[in-house]
Formats: sequence, structure tokens, C-alpha cells
Amino acid sequence: MTDWTNHLLILPILLPLMVGAAMIPLDERNRMLKGVMGFVSTLALFVLSLVLMRMASSSEAMAAGNGVYQLGNWPAPFGIVLVLDRLSALMLCLTSGLALAAQAYSIARWHTAGHHFHSLFQLLIAGLNGSFLTGDLFNLFVFFEIMLAASYGLLLHGSGPLRVKAGLHYVAINLAASSLFLIGVSLIYGATGTLNMADLSVKLATLSAGDRQMVEVGAGVLGVAFLVKAGMWPLSFWLPTAYAAATPPVAAVFAILTKVGIYVILRLSLLVFGANAGVSAGFGQTVLLAGGLLTIAFGAIGVLASQAMGRLAAYSVLVSSGTLLAAIGLGHASMIAGALFYLVSSTLTISAFFLLIELVERGRDAGADVLAVTMEAYGDADEDEEEEEVGATIPGTMAILGLCFCLCALLLAGLPPLSGFVAKFAILGGLFGLSGAEAAPAISPADWTYVTLLIVSGLAAMIAMNRVGIRTFWASIENTVPRVVVIEITPVVVLLAACIFLSLQAGPIMHYMQATADSLMNPAGYAERVLGAPRAGGQ
Amino acid sequence: MELILSVAIGVLTASGVYLLLRPRTYQVIIGLSLLSYAVNLFIFGMGRLRVNAPPVLEPGGVGDLSRYTDPVPQALVLTAIVIGFAMTALFLVVLLASRGFTGTDHVDGREQRHD
Amino acid sequence: MLSVFILAPFAGSLLAIFFPPEQRGATAWFAGAIALLCFLVAAGLYPFVTSGGVLRYDIAWLPQLGLNFTLRMDGFAWLFTVLVTAIGVLVVLYARYYMAAEDPVPRFLALFLAFMGSMLGVVLSGNLILLAVFWELTSIVSFLLIGYWHHNAHARDGARMALTITGTGGLCMLVGFLLMGRIVGSYDLDVVLASGDLIRNSPLYIPVLILVLLGALTKSAQFPFHFWLPHAMAAPTPVSAYLHSATMVKAGVFLLVRLWPVMAGTEAWFWIVGLAGLSTLLLGAYFAIFQQDLKGLLAYSTISHLGLITVLLSLGSPLAAVAAIFHIVNHATFKASLFMAAGIIDHETGTRDMRKLGGLIRYMPGTAVLAMVASAAMAGVPLLNGFISKEMFFAEAIETHQANILDTMTPYVATLAGMFAVTYSLRFIHSVFFGKPPEDLPKVPHEPPRWMRVPIEFLVLACLVVGIIPAITIGPFLHTAVVSILGASTPYYSLAVWHGWNLPLIMSFVALAGGIGLYFLMRNYLATSVEGPPIFRLLHGQRIFERVLVTLSWKWARWLEQNLGTRRLQPQMRFLVFIAVVAGALPLLLTHFELPPLVVRSIDPAFALIWAVGIACAIGAAILAKFHRLAALVLLGGAGLTTCLTFVWLSAPDLAVTQLLVEIVTTVLILLGLRWLPKRIEDTQETELLSLRVRFRRLRDFLLAVTAGGGVALIAYTMMTRPMPETIASYFLERAYKEGGGTNVVNVILVDFRGFDTLGEIAVLAIVALTVFALLLRFRPQADSLEAPEQQRVQNAFDDDHPDRSKGDSVAEYLFVPSVIMRWMFPVIGMLAAYLFLRGHDLPGGGFAAGIAMSIGFILQYMSGGTRWVEERLRIHPLRWMSIGLLVAAATGIGSWLFGYPFLTSHSQYVTLPIVGKFPLASALFFDLGVFSLVLGATVLILIALAHQSIRAPRAHQRAMRASKEAR
Repeated sequence: MTDWTNHLLILPILLPLMVGAAMIPLDERNRMLKGVMGFVSTLALFVLSLVLMRMASSSEAMAAGNGVYQLGNWPAPFGIVLVLDRLSALMLCLTSGLALAAQAYSIARWHTAGHHFHSLFQLLIAGLNGSFLTGDLFNLFVFFEIMLAASYGLLLHGSGPLRVKAGLHYVAINLAASSLFLIGVSLIYGATGTLNMADLSVKLATLSAGDRQMVEVGAGVLGVAFLVKAGMWPLSFWLPTAYAAATPPVAAVFAILTKVGIYVILRLSLLVFGANAGVSAGFGQTVLLAGGLLTIAFGAIGVLASQAMGRLAAYSVLVSSGTLLAAIGLGHASMIAGALFYLVSSTLTISAFFLLIELVERGRDAGADVLAVTMEAYGDADEDEEEEEVGATIPGTMAILGLCFCLCALLLAGLPPLSGFVAKFAILGGLFGLSGAEAAPAISPADWTYVTLLIVSGLAAMIAMNRVGIRTFWASIENTVPRVVVIEITPVVVLLAACIFLSLQAGPIMHYMQATADSLMNPAGYAERVLGAPRAGGQ
Repeated sequence: MELILSVAIGVLTASGVYLLLRPRTYQVIIGLSLLSYAVNLFIFGMGRLRVNAPPVLEPGGVGDLSRYTDPVPQALVLTAIVIGFAMTALFLVVLLASRGFTGTDHVDGREQRHD
Repeated sequence: MLSVFILAPFAGSLLAIFFPPEQRGATAWFAGAIALLCFLVAAGLYPFVTSGGVLRYDIAWLPQLGLNFTLRMDGFAWLFTVLVTAIGVLVVLYARYYMAAEDPVPRFLALFLAFMGSMLGVVLSGNLILLAVFWELTSIVSFLLIGYWHHNAHARDGARMALTITGTGGLCMLVGFLLMGRIVGSYDLDVVLASGDLIRNSPLYIPVLILVLLGALTKSAQFPFHFWLPHAMAAPTPVSAYLHSATMVKAGVFLLVRLWPVMAGTEAWFWIVGLAGLSTLLLGAYFAIFQQDLKGLLAYSTISHLGLITVLLSLGSPLAAVAAIFHIVNHATFKASLFMAAGIIDHETGTRDMRKLGGLIRYMPGTAVLAMVASAAMAGVPLLNGFISKEMFFAEAIETHQANILDTMTPYVATLAGMFAVTYSLRFIHSVFFGKPPEDLPKVPHEPPRWMRVPIEFLVLACLVVGIIPAITIGPFLHTAVVSILGASTPYYSLAVWHGWNLPLIMSFVALAGGIGLYFLMRNYLATSVEGPPIFRLLHGQRIFERVLVTLSWKWARWLEQNLGTRRLQPQMRFLVFIAVVAGALPLLLTHFELPPLVVRSIDPAFALIWAVGIACAIGAAILAKFHRLAALVLLGGAGLTTCLTFVWLSAPDLAVTQLLVEIVTTVLILLGLRWLPKRIEDTQETELLSLRVRFRRLRDFLLAVTAGGGVALIAYTMMTRPMPETIASYFLERAYKEGGGTNVVNVILVDFRGFDTLGEIAVLAIVALTVFALLLRFRPQADSLEAPEQQRVQNAFDDDHPDRSKGDSVAEYLFVPSVIMRWMFPVIGMLAAYLFLRGHDLPGGGFAAGIAMSIGFILQYMSGGTRWVEERLRIHPLRWMSIGLLVAAATGIGSWLFGYPFLTSHSQYVTLPIVGKFPLASALFFDLGVFSLVLGATVLILIALAHQSIRAPRAHQRAMRASKEAR
């Protein structure tokens, strides 16, 4: 712990927390200042996450107990620890990337739709990063609550009947889920006497049958809480409405909220119920598989059935989490890397799409009436005046929007040559493998179902996007070119560019993913790192 | 002791859940509060029940589980209480806002045909 | 070198976008140059691919998974490359004159180049997955090209259909390739081609075959997927000439030829491919006869010719493969030229309807001659290239390859189709160029610009030369291609016009004579008939497709979405609870679970009594929550107090204190909120005549709730009666004082051992406060809850009646005594808070409790003095307090960095203060200070924000009143 670089581990939580806190008393009139502060801090976070990624992927930097941060200098399993590994670093990077885009976008107009947008935004990031970094179950609960509370605030940002109604459902369901979370965690503590994930993974194998049962009950209940976040059918009906109602930048970051659920499930199922979990190994996988498949199906249906692009995007969120859940459920080690690649690619795509939608629909005045809702919500005498949009509008708007839309369509449908395709190929390639000859084991019905659903969901996306796109860009009667400012389109372009980068650099990136998957497959190593980390001051 | 407490937890949970499933926002918020009591007691119970063994050491003392009750669940409950309080407040305001916008106190923002 | 074929077109397409729309000529020259470059490079590479030579170009893309950017050129690929590039050059030249002034030519040519690039990619891919990539790219680009005139609805539908069908096929093919990779162990084409037996004998052969064929057949518009092609004719003619005759539709047969060595020759292959091919061959030709649209006719004839190629490939004999390859080339030449001719006719006359056209040979003799030669080739007239390949086809058709009906049928079907071919070719010529001159044409027809005809002339010349002296013109190239596919098993074949009097020749003549006869029988009917063949016209493939698509992807999807999902909260909650119960129960049910022994030891009656009350409260609250909100709230409080007592009883003083304080604040909050809810008076008859469904639903929910409660109770009991496991708690008990510097272990855990949790917890509080604040700024009360509460109104009315009183006096007096007391309470509570705070580390209390307590003090002030009174006297900056609190807490944590310790490491010692006495001064104390400040700020903010509504409401009320007046 003598190495100062280790303090970097906590910055992803601390920085946004303090920036967010510092912004609170600032007056709403100088939103711009807040916006800039927020942007700078997010930018810093992004750089930081890249640094952490390099740290995580270099073995010597991870040696000597680095990458394990003992808060209050209390060693695991007693104190709370933050654990950096490739997966958490990856998620941090993804989060800050999305946040960066969403924040820039919001500055153009949406942050004026309500109060304390930027504070809430920073605190949301803090919550997300915390959830990715923490190695302690109860601490995970706390960060989940930070993240959720902030997400409530952001979903309700801009108010208006639509959002409040959606918000009511969202809040109610997540509160119920949080109670489940508490029950699960406390049950696990009661049975094992520990809250540390690594410690849990070690202890589980040694438990008496009775205690093991209790742990499994706890894990089951806990799992439900996570699956609500991940949006598994039938726990996901709140999601499309909520995401479609949220303001675009908010929806864009929400794209990663479901992934938090996925992340935790992946982490716990591989760490705690991984290879060395004795009898409990592979706990709950069948549920994940079945649920995942159903979720893909439901999502695909929803994608087809939705008229408004907002709902379409929201349903593709479901498709994406379904794909991941089922991939975890199938339990082929060879698929995890591909799944991770898919996670990144699909998240980027969906949030880019969420940002794009409002710009496109603005021309068709759908965006305008969203605004109208907010305007209607304004209007108290003590309300501040509507600010003028920032930045200059761009020429050739329609062409650029059209191009972006095409890219989104390709990515969502998983068509070549973009990362959407690479991701699906990586998953399927991992599933089928290049074993050659008859060496490979037979392909199970579950595998077939998964493959079919994956392809069909892609088709559904293609058909739906095709329909919407033709209606919007080709068959649109009124040719009102939307008024789009540079700062709004840039984030979209950047996110899509990131996807293109993923597709071009697929090789090296898959290499990272593979390494990540391998380390996930080695829970013992993780536990060793966490529990073996030395205390500061050599006590 | 254990018996009574677990029955109590059960009843609190049951009433809470029943209210969660009701259509009026006010019922839901009461339900959530009841549920949070149940959960807090549940967490607390995970440290097993002890009478007259509060985890307050005498100065300079070194405690152990034979003389003091398990403090960890208590700490967890404290956090849970605070967060529960916050969330109740939030939900209250959201339901007020919803009532304000939609004119009804039905959870779906509009009256259903039945119930 | 090979990379040029990919890079040049795509780079060119990117550049082409930036050409200004009016620069038609320049753009065309640019695009043409690119195509020409590719062609020349291809020509230059010929020496390397002769006699089975193979060029490769490799870049790693996704090597871990065997996906590499591998380009591979053998003789066959070379032939196709030349075809694609050469015709590309011609089409660009043609398009330059074809496109109307208002069309955005740069966009067209950009797409065109992109397509050429993807097509070359398909041809040159040396990796199956890469092939699939380019394959889908061709579909996507062709979608954009077909939809080029997107103002036209036909174009849109045609484009969508083409993409949907070919795209779907492509995805299936991808899966097929993945399976193939699984069998072979690599996606590399060379490896795959080397392991034919492995594939054919694999158990996965049939799935692979079907999936790959789905790709190939959809792309090549084979029956039953043929119908997208005619509708793709809404595209500009250059597109049809290029994509839909020469290149894209050939991709399917290209793939069949590519994989022919490894997949052909089996029973399944013969049946599937053969059946598709034969039916396509026949139906295509038959439909073509009845088209009235020139391009429609050509489209169906294309379909039929592709069918012919497919049949040849299905036979599985080397000679047939040779014929197939040969026919691919021939068809490309004459069909492209015919499309261009049709385009010219359309361009010059303004219509493509054969019923309107006629006698054009007077106006455009040149074009007429060219068209005649080309269509003669299409009909398979001797001395033209079409004839030779058709002869080979007939010859193969006669041979028996597999003894079954399909095989015996082939020659007859072939002859019949040949006959139809003659008929429609004849019709094309006769109805357009001969007969009486056309009247009421949109334009007066005349020859097209010189250069517009050059491409056609070129192609027609090719038809002739190849037709007359095949052996020395096409011969060597064809041979190169054939060798690269068949390798050692290349059969002997002769490209000669004259093979002597043999059966194929006779078949040809039968076809010719029959075709001519058929045409003259039908011409009068055709001259007036409507579009499409007699019976089949009724079942439009396209309409069926559209309907199916709409039904599947819209009607059913919507239905399913509504029935598999819900937008109502209650069902979702039910699902959540139910699944949670199941998730909790399953582990117990799956593994044997023995109930814990029921110990009734040491039940303290007092405790039991307390809980009897508590339980009653809970149930009461549950029952009353709907109609008697206040009562329910009180009962809730009751349950809360019981919980509180339980904590006291079971040695958790901290919890008791916190629970109590939180209880108070929560109650106040809900009380403040109650006002804004709608009045609900229980009307007795409503409860009596509850519908059965409602009763049922309530019963179900009740049972669900009871199950959940029972489950939790059971688990709790089991857990509580189990022995304590080895727990981390003992560590805390040992070190709380020694290292944590406090005797109240719980508090030490909160501010030290697990201080990070506390930091997070107060962050949550802050966030919620902000959210509440922001949301309430937008609060819109309903009209019915706007006017002042009843009691106030009564009292104010009373004041109004009595002149000696001013309005609001009663309200003030009403609470006079309590308010005085409450005002005096403020300092007391302040002291209490301070006390709770300072003793926190050692005895129950701490920053949180103190903060809450303090905020209660503030509430009391508000209750007594009213909002305005308080805010005149106290400076209240909850936002600032929150911010400071959070920052202080975090800063305290960071402080320990200075000593080289991680975040939140605490240092502690005791200091003595005058009154308070000796108390611990740990760095944790500052942390706790932050907690205090934040909790105070947040709680006060929430309460005030809610309380303020009562002040804002009247304003809102008046505004609403004013608004309604203005409305009237």
C-alpha cells in the first residue's frame, strides 16, 4: 500500500462526489459554470479510467497488493476494500465515456429543464463507479442506492406528467428491489459472518449444508434484485416507459444502468459460485439462461412493436441485457470474452441512439412536444427564464443525421461491418468454436435456441429500424430540417466513432476481453489478491 | 424471543407486501414503510438476539462476542434506516407530484375500470 | 496489390460524396477512373492466376477467432473481378448520360463505388466470415441504391424488400459459415476448400447446407425468394444493369460455384439446389413472357437464367460446372447490354410499357440493332455467346447424374424454358421496334447521345466475338477459372459453335421454332393484356410478403407486446414479489431442508405483549390505509415505536435512538403531504357490492402477501436459531477501542471501520434532498387541494365576522400555548443535538442522530411560528449545509493521505472540555461533523420544500383562477 498510485483507485468515486457536492450551493443561473465543472471532472475521470485500465492489464503493477484499496486501512475481510481488475476498469472506462457524451449533449439545452442536473449527474457517476469498484456486498448496496437515488432524480429531471408517472413506477419497483437486496445481504452475513465478496467465495465451500442453504436463499433473493436492474423479463416492464420518458442525455447514461446489474451478476456468479464453490457451483445458471432467452424474445418483439423511436431504443436495451444474461447462463467459458465485447459495443450504440433520436424527431416536432411538456412544467412565477441554445447550428444537418441513423441501425441489427456484427460474431464464434473435426462436443438445444434468438433479434432490429428510418428520412412529408447545434451532434458522432474504432481494433480489444474473461474464470486468484493485500504502515 | 420476533417480521412483511400490491399511492407508501421495518428487524436478527449486551465497551476494554452482541448488523441497520428514510421522503414527493399532474392517486396515473 | 480492389472503390466513394452536385461530369470521370484502375490492375494480375495460381493478401483483424482480412485471388475470382470492374466502367459511362439533371449524381456514384467495392470484396474474400461481411454490405448498399429515388413509394418498398430478404439470407449464411468453421477448424477459404470430405461427412452437413443455400438462393433470386428482384427494378436503370444482371445477383451463384467442390455431389445438394433451380428456370421464363414493363421482362428473364446456372451447378458434374461458369459470363454481357438498351428506350420515349411502344426502329435504328443482337443472344440463337452455353446446358441436361424424377425431368423442362426464352426475347424486340409507330408518347424518341450507346456496342460486340470464335477469345480465361475451381478433376470440353447434329442442337431448334410459334400465337393477347401471367398474377409474391411481414412484425408483435408485457404497476409488483418468493423457496425445495426446532424458551410476556400491539398496528395500518389515511399513519407510527422498543430490549440503543428520531421526521413529512391527496370518503355501498374480480384479486394478493411474510418469518427464525458463524464482528469488538478510539462499537464501525458506507449513505440523503427540492419546484397541485384547509377557512371566516379581529388571529391563537413552548424548545433541542453528537463515539448517538434531532428543532419552529416567521428570524441555507457537510466528510477522509494512509484512516485521542468533560477527539469526529451538517441540511431542505408548498399553493390557485377567467 506504500505505492501512491494506489490512491488513484478511489478517485473515480471521490472526484465526482466532491465536484457534485461543491456544485450544490451554486445558483442555477450559472448553469454553464456547473456544466463546465462537470465536464472537466468527467473528462478527468475518463483519462483516469484509461490509466487504471493500463494498471489493471499490467501484471507487475497489480502485483504486491496494488489494485486493492483498504478503506480506513482495515484489511479485508474486515474493512471495505475497493478492488481494481480488468473488468472493473473496463466498466469505469465505459461509464465515463458515456457520461462525457451525455454531459456535453446536455449543455446545449436539456440541463435547463430542471434544477441540480449536473450535481445529480456527478453523483450518479460516483454511484456507478463505486458499484464497479467495491469488493464488499453491503458497500455495493450503498453504491447501488447512490446510483438509484441519482437516477430517480435524473429520470424526474424536467418533470412533467410523463416522467412523473414513469418515475413513480420506477421508484416503487426499485424500492421493493432494494428491500430484497438488504434481505439477501443480511442473510448471507448471518450464514457466513462476512460481507466481503472474496472472503465469501473462499468460505462458501467450507460451509455446513444448512448454512449453505441459507446462503443460496440469500443469493437467490439478491439475484432478483439484480435482475430487476438488469431488466430481465418479466421484471422489466417498467424499463421501456421509464427510458423513453427520460430526457435524452439521461436516457443515454441509463444505457449503462442495466449493465450494472449484468456486471454484478457476472462478477458474483463467476466469483462466488464459480469453479471452487463446491456443491453450489453454477448456482442459478439455468434461471439466467431461461430468463435471458425470454428477455431477448420479449425485447425483439418490443423492438418490432414500437412506433416511437424512444421505445424502440429502450427495447433494444432489453435485447442487449437478455443477450448477456443468456450468455452468462449458457456458461461456456469461451463466450464470456465475446459477451464483454458485446456489452461495450451495445451500450455505446444504444446511448448514441438515445441521443440521436431527439435530434431526428425534433424535425418532426416530436422533440418539440417533449420540450412542451417541460415548458408546461415550468411556469411558476419564481421560475428562471428559458435559456437560448448554445453553439451554432450545422449545415447539411439531414445528411449527417441520416448517416448517424444508418450507423445506429447497422450496429443495433448487428450487421457488418461495424462492431455490432463483430460482437455477435465474437459471441457465436466463441459458442461454436474452431475446434475442428469432431473434437467439439455436440451443440445443445439451448445453444441452438440462443443462436436463433440472437439472429432473429438482429433481424427484428433491422426491420424495425428500416421501417422507422424510411418513415423518417425518406417518406417524411414536411421537410422541416431540425435545428441541431454542433455540441449536440458531436457526442453522437464520437460514440459512433468509438464503435467504429471497436470494429477496426477488434483484435487488440478482444485480446483485452479475453484476458478479462480469463481472470474472471480464476476466482481463487482474485480472492488471494484481495485477502492477501498488506496493510499500510506495515502493521 | 426468536419466535416472537420472526412472527412479527412475518406480519410486518405480509402487511407491507399486501399494501405494495394495492392501487392507491398512499397505500404503497405505507406498505413500503412497513416493509422497511420488517427488513430492518430482519437484518438486526441476523446478528442473533441478545438481551443486555449492548456493544458499548468499557473504556480500554477489549470486547468479544461472548459478552457483547454482534455490532455489525446494527451498523447495517443504521445505514438501512437512513436510506429507507430518504427513499420514503422521495417516494412521498413523487406520489404528490403524480397526484398533482394526473389528478388521481392511482399508481398508474389514471383510474382503472375496477379496483 | 489485391487491397487496391477494396481500398480504391471505398476511398473513391468517400471522396465522391464531397463533389458538388452540379459537377456531374467531373464526378463521373472520377468514378470511371477508379473503376478503370481496378480493371487494369486486374488485367495486369492475370499471369499470376493462370494454371491454378493463387494470390493472397493477409491482415489480422480478429485472429483469436479466426477472422482475418484475407483477400484471395484465383482464376475464378479473377474472372469475376474482371467482369465486375469492366462492366462497372461501362455502367459509369452510361450513367453519366442517363441521370437526369435534378438527380444528385455524386451520391449515386458514391454508392455505386461503395457497391463495387463490396462486390469485389465478396469475390476476393479469402475468409468465409469476411465474405459474409462483404455479402451483407452488398445488400445494404443495394438497399440504398434501389431506394435512390426515395420520393417514389415503389422504390422504397422494393428497397426494403430486397434488403429484408437478402439480409436475412445473409445472416443465415453467416451461421452456416460459423458451423462450417466448427467442422473444418478454420474459416480460411483455402483450408475449407481442402476439406470437402470432412464437410460432406459431418453430421452438421445438412444444417450447413441449408443455411448456406438460404444465403445463396435469396441473393440470386431463386424460387421461392425470386420476387424481390422484379420490384428492385424501381432502381435507376444503371443500377439494374449493374446489380441486377451482372454482379449482385451473381453473388449467389458465385458462392455456389465457390463451395461447389466441398458441398456439391450429395443427394441433398442435388435435390434442394436442383429443385430450386429448375422451378426458377421455368417459372422465370414463363412469367417473363407476360410482363408489359421492359425492365420487368428482363428481370424475370434474369431470374430464369440464374435458375439455369443453378440447375447446372446442382447436377454436380464437372462439365456442368464449366457450363455454369461460362453462362455466368455470357449472361452478364448480354443482359447488361439489354438493360442499358431498355434504359435508353425509357430515357428517350419516357415509357417502358410495351403496350405503348412500337416501331421504334425508325427513330433509333442503332439501338434497335444492338438490342436485337443482344436479345438473340439471350434467346440462344447460334453464332452468339448465349447459344454456346445453352448448348452445353442442354448437353448436360440430357446426361443422367442421379437416377430420379428430377433428373429425368431436366431435359424437358430445359427445352420448354428455352422455348419461353425465345418467346420473350422475340417479344422484347418485336413489340418495341416493329409494328405501328407509337402515338401519345411523352417525348418524341430519337437516338441517345453517342457515348451513351458505346457501352452497349462494346458488350454486344463481345457477345458476337465470343459467339463466333469462343475458343480463342474467352477460351483461355474460362479455362483458368475452371481449373481454379475443379483443379485436377477438370474435364475435357470444347468451346465450338458446331458439334455436329446432336440432340442438344435439335433441342435448340425445337426451342427456337416453338418459341417463335408461341409468340405469334400469343402476340395479340399480349399486346393488350394486363401486367403479369394469367393465374399467377393473382398471387403476388410481393403482396404476400408485405402482408406476412406486416402481420408478423407489426400486428402479432404489438399483440404480443401488449400481452406479454404490461404498463401497470400492480402486475409488475406481483411478478416481483412472486419471483422473489420463488427465488427464496427454490434452494430450500431443491435441497432437503429440515425445519428448525420450535424453541418456546425464554419468551418474555412483556415482549410478547409489545409485539401483540405492534402486530395489531401493522395489520390495522394495512386495512385502513385506503380510507383513513391519518389513522393508518398513526398505526404505522405505532409499529415503528414497537420496532424501536425491540431495539432497546435487544441491546441496540443506537438503533432505538435513530429509529425514534427518524420515526418523528417521517411522520411529519407524511403529515405535510397528506393535504395534497384527494379526499376519499368510504361509501358503504361501494364496499358492499365489490365485483367478484376485485374480491378475487384481493384474495390473491392477500395469499401472496401471507406467503411472502411466512417465508421471511421462516427464514428469519431458522437463521436466528442457528449458531453464530465465525464472524468479522469479533475483530471489531477487539479493536474498536484500541484502534478505533471509541467504546461504542456500532458508532466506531459507522465512522471508522465502515465509514465509507456512511459517506455513501449521506450522499444518498443529499441526492434525495436535491431531487425532492427540484421536483417540488415544479409541483402543480390539483385544483381541489388548492384552497386553504377547511379549519383555517372557518377560523378566517370567524375573524371576518368580528370587526375587532384581523384575519389570521384565530389561527395564531389556536396554537398559541404550544407554539410558545415549541419556540422555547429550540435551544434545548440544540443542546440535546450537541450532546448526542459529542458522546456519539462512546455512547449511543453520533452525527446522524444529532443532525436529525437538530432538524426536528427547526420543524418545531416552522410548526409554531409558520414559515414566514421563521425565515424572517433564521438564516437557513440547507443547500450550503449539505454541500459543506459532504465536502468536510470527504476532506477528512482525504486528510489521511498526508500521513500516507488510505482514505478514511482515523487518528484519535481524548481531549477535555470544560462542561462536557473528557471526550474523544478522533479525526472521525470531523467526519461525523460532516455527517451532522449534511443530515441537518438535507432533512431541513426536504421539510421546508414540502412546507413551502402551502405558501406557493395560494399563488398557484390565484393564477389558475386568473387563467380560467381569461379563458372565459
